[in-house]
Amino acid sequence: MDTTSFPAVWAVVGPGVAGAVFGVGWWFWVDAVVCSAAAVPFLHYLPGLFASFAALMFNCVKREDANYNYYSPYDDSEWRLKLWLFVSYVVSFVSLAGAVGFLVQDALTDTGPSAWTGVAGVLQSVFVLISGLMYWTCHSED
Amino acid sequence: MARSMRTCLHSGRLALLAILVSGGIVLQILACALYNNWWPMLTVLMYLILPMPLIFFLGSNSPSMMSNDGDTWVSFTKFLTGASIVGSIAIPSILKHAGVIGWGALTMELSSFLVFGVAILWLIQMNSEDEYSSAF
Repeated sequence: MDTTSFPAVWAVVGPGVAGAVFGVGWWFWVDAVVCSAAAVPFLHYLPGLFASFAALMFNCVKREDANYNYYSPYDDSEWRLKLWLFVSYVVSFVSLAGAVGFLVQDALTDTGPSAWTGVAGVLQSVFVLISGLMYWTCHSED
Repeated sequence: MARSMRTCLHSGRLALLAILVSGGIVLQILACALYNNWWPMLTVLMYLILPMPLIFFLGSNSPSMMSNDGDTWVSFTKFLTGASIVGSIAIPSILKHAGVIGWGALTMELSSFLVFGVAILWLIQMNSEDEYSSAF
């Protein structure tokens, strides 16, 4: 293993770290659901599911294909990749906004889940998206 | 003399590895039996899940776990292994947070996972060195 440069080390251990961060995010949500006194409605699960879906979306695009040196027989196919990345960005933004909205709702109202459920939802979305970005940056295929 | 010494050292290392795995299993059973609370056995499910990506996707290509010449399947295997490792730590922590188990059981669970982790890493390191790259 080449340990003299950070990109080489990151290419080796990056997928494992991304998986660990993904697991941390989802287990935070499991902890919130298990320790919650009130039942958590299904609507509160959606930010985490959408964040996981967004992470899957932008990992469908290879990193080498998204730069300007990419040659394609269809010379205008680059905008499709960027459009897909933009749509995945929108989905991740919506999931984060939804998680923050549920956090505010859980913190301000006395009924329903406690504030820890909202905090765990935000942490879940953040960690899941971070793991997607980690996997996208360290996993390159050539 | 050198060959028998090397065989003796190899058997010694295998015996120590077996002792490590047995110690991990004993810690796991103690965490449940001492308090007569068998909820920490859920961690065994995560221990079952942990080697599955290695067995399914890598097979005999296990040295590529520690290098970057793998392809997409190796990266996906590393991702799933990382997620399973976090699950092994998260299940006892969530049980403690919910008040189902106490500090003693949590400590024994995490110690069991640590012992298993050391044994697995040592096994991978032992498998990756062959006869010709040995120091003897």
